[in-house]
Amino acid sequence: MLPDFASVSPETKADALAYLASLDDVRVIAGGTDLLVNMKRGELCSNVVDIMNIEELRLLSGDGTDIAIGPAITHAAISAAAMLNDLAGSLSAACGWIGSPQIRNMGTIGGNLANASPAADLIPPLLIHDTVLKIESQEGKREERLDDFIVAPYETSLKPHELLTWVCIKGLPGYREGYRRIARRAAWAISRLSVAWAVREDGDRFVDVKLAIGSCTPMPFRPRNVEKFLGGRKKDDHTIGEAAALVVEEIRRITGDRPSFAYKLPVVKGLVQKALRG
Amino acid sequence: MYIGNEMNRIDALDKVLGRPVYAEDLSAKGALFGCIFRSTRPHAFIRRIDTRAAMASPGIVKVLSCHDIPGENLFGIIKKDQPYLAQDRVRCIGEPVLIVLGETEEAARKALQLIEVEYEDAEVVSDPFLSEDSTALIHDKGNLLSRRKVIKGDIEKGFKEADVIVEHTYSTSWLDHAFMETESGVGYPDSKGRIVVISSTQNIHYKQKEISRLLAVPEEKIKVVQATTGGGFGGKLDVTVEGFIALSVHHTRRPVVMRFTREESFLSNTKRHPLYIEYKTGARKDGIITAVKVGITGDTGPFASYGETVCLRAALHATGPYEVPNVHVDSRMFYTNNPVSGAMRGFGIPQLAFAHESQMDEVALMLKMDPFDIRMMNALKKGSLTATSQVLQNSVGIIETLRKVEPYWRKRSKKEDRAGFGLGCMYYGIGNTGVSNPANACLNITGDGKIALHTGACEIGQGSDTTLVQILQEALGLKIEDIVLVRGDTDTSKDAGSSSASRQTYISGGAVFDAALKMRQYLDEKGFYKGRPIREIYASEADKKLLEHNGFFDPPTTPVDPETSKGSPYATYAFATHMTEVEVEPETGCCTVKRVYAAHDVGRAINLKNVRGQIYGGIAMGVGFALMEEFVPGKSESFDNYYMPTSMDMPDVEVFVVEDREPTGPFGAKGVGEPALIPQAASIVNAIKDATGVRPFELPCHIERLKMLLEKAKG
Repeated sequence: MLPDFASVSPETKADALAYLASLDDVRVIAGGTDLLVNMKRGELCSNVVDIMNIEELRLLSGDGTDIAIGPAITHAAISAAAMLNDLAGSLSAACGWIGSPQIRNMGTIGGNLANASPAADLIPPLLIHDTVLKIESQEGKREERLDDFIVAPYETSLKPHELLTWVCIKGLPGYREGYRRIARRAAWAISRLSVAWAVREDGDRFVDVKLAIGSCTPMPFRPRNVEKFLGGRKKDDHTIGEAAALVVEEIRRITGDRPSFAYKLPVVKGLVQKALRG
Repeated sequence: MYIGNEMNRIDALDKVLGRPVYAEDLSAKGALFGCIFRSTRPHAFIRRIDTRAAMASPGIVKVLSCHDIPGENLFGIIKKDQPYLAQDRVRCIGEPVLIVLGETEEAARKALQLIEVEYEDAEVVSDPFLSEDSTALIHDKGNLLSRRKVIKGDIEKGFKEADVIVEHTYSTSWLDHAFMETESGVGYPDSKGRIVVISSTQNIHYKQKEISRLLAVPEEKIKVVQATTGGGFGGKLDVTVEGFIALSVHHTRRPVVMRFTREESFLSNTKRHPLYIEYKTGARKDGIITAVKVGITGDTGPFASYGETVCLRAALHATGPYEVPNVHVDSRMFYTNNPVSGAMRGFGIPQLAFAHESQMDEVALMLKMDPFDIRMMNALKKGSLTATSQVLQNSVGIIETLRKVEPYWRKRSKKEDRAGFGLGCMYYGIGNTGVSNPANACLNITGDGKIALHTGACEIGQGSDTTLVQILQEALGLKIEDIVLVRGDTDTSKDAGSSSASRQTYISGGAVFDAALKMRQYLDEKGFYKGRPIREIYASEADKKLLEHNGFFDPPTTPVDPETSKGSPYATYAFATHMTEVEVEPETGCCTVKRVYAAHDVGRAINLKNVRGQIYGGIAMGVGFALMEEFVPGKSESFDNYYMPTSMDMPDVEVFVVEDREPTGPFGAKGVGEPALIPQAASIVNAIKDATGVRPFELPCHIERLKMLLEKAKG
């Protein structure tokens, strides 16, 4: 059973910020595909501010490579947006695979970020798009890189009175992008692990490679040493094999060994190689 | 004219429009809500129960314990060993201890939190192999629930005659039925002083009997009605909410509603028995199987439920649909403190099919034979002796099902390395095993000129309502508008037995057919087939009792010998062959089931759409059994962590219906409910082996397990 709580549904950002400033024990709801599940499991909160009716949080704008995504945009809407298909293919793909159609119609990019699950589908693609988050409260505005925003599994730097107002990404024209998630069934499952990639090639050479791995480490991460290693190198089996081995090494460096790695590490290796080969 | 066609199910339009009232939707004016306080310990003595705080909680009307049971506290389909409410000890996590009755669901569920129970933990038996010799007795007579053997020919001689011997061990896990509607119902006292229970169930008359024992009142004082039911698969055969509701109504004389949450359903519902199968096959160079020796060890949890049935059925079907001259099967079912396992689509045979079909492929591989040919060579045919030495006289369509898929098997070709093809065959005895299991049906002519069919056969989504009506239509030559179906009410129908064991088309269908023949003769005498309207026949009949015609069918079976299982436990068998194409991604261990060719000998398809529907559903369930479904006690709590297939995991399916008519069946029909599932996992496993060279011996073969097998094979 859901515990008792009060909810408000403001129509402007200013009202939402006012509620967040004045209400005690308050949470933002942006779709509720995680929050309501957690509340049903016993996570308590007295007040809920629903931001789904705030027009200005559902906008999508972009000029070439700088794209701003409203945090209350649903996964379904993102996966259908032509601009994102062109400039952030891995994000489009991830939004098309998350949950089920029902979840994609309710869940939002802001909610996925604020929930900060190690298995969040949107975080690896957002990492490779150098995402910066705009955050507001009645006291003012601040910006934070996604890498810094998530401070621990299921924990972000958002304060209770703060609201995520924009998700700003860099479009990657000319990159070959993709996202692959592995789960026990074809859809509607939590990712056991995931890989997002954006690769720019020139003939038989890697020009620039961006990789992000999800569900392996406490927070999804970019193996930047591997990206650096690949830049300018010849695209052959040797390079690709070495890069995949480096990714695995990096995961081990971050978390040590885990029982699940018997499965995950060989799979990450295989998927990174597949991604690099194209 | 009316059967064998593509008629829509008679409940289809209503269901699409959302009209039916499921048990979960039921309520009654002034109803109390009942919920169950359950054990958190696998095995413990109850030292103290404190319900004072719960009783004082707002809106709480009553808390009932085992001491409030006026009759027998123990129930069970075969062996009555399961308490409704724990007596002095609990024997598994989730075992009901108390019923809390509140004015609202919220009040009742809140009060649950306030109950305190002091336990003294007892030794826990969690492994069936350790159960036999454990000093911790789950029941006074020991921890072995059942042991059944199948002995035919001379097993030693059979292995001596063999040129190759293949020996492997297979294991399977617990599975949840995961029906869409959780266990639910409502009860109330009626104006005649009876207790009425309306619930989501597969068997109303059994529940009527159990409630009468529970309350120590005659059966006539209890009325059980089946609400529209959202799935069963065997999980609504045991008493679920019905006993609790009846007891609560008995004590409060008020209507009572109960509805398990999904988490509660996962925790408390019976599971598919995990079986551990040691399987040894001997074959000659030419492919003829000479001997099969099987050891089966099962875990039924602390209560028998259908454990004895699974123990026996698994043993009887252990050789698969093949003629084997020398057979030795030893099947044992143990009590443990694990979750209660019970009936689930196939009664142990899907587990055995996984083993015997894997064995067939391994034997073929050793002999460098085509897996298809070895099956064809050993398949049962008319005149064959089964493992129980039953002579199959009619309706033995296994070879015909093989022939249906043969063209696809012969021309299969791997477009990619990672593709693989596998076969799975099965046979399945329709109806209960070696015991009388009759069904009744009753027809009468109504004042408005219709024929009413009264049946106790529960429609649980499988389509029995439609099938029975079509049988009646065909027998009487009546349009659908001339028939009224009255189903699932102990007041208006006699016992039809459970909707289980794939038996309703064959057995209730047989009872409807029997009644229809009598009705047909009556109508004929009264001139109906010469154009006299039914309404007029009704009006002209002075003795209205003559308007009623009862039908009965009990399949001819013989009990099996307790030592050797010799006998004819089933009057007829269904047969099937599935051919499955998979694609395995070696990097990840992901197995995608691409396509299934499913050929089933159903005797006669009463309704082709229904037959196909059952087969699609069976295949979906088989995909889950093979690749993902696994109930882990203590971990699997809900659909959040129990994965079953979605439509995205569903392969393309082509169905072939073989109609080798069964002379004792209505218009030649047998059954397809469980057969649809049984060979599917086996054919997937064989396809995985074909694709990768590795063979899974443990189900489910989920991505992690498959990847580990592939890594191990790499060295």
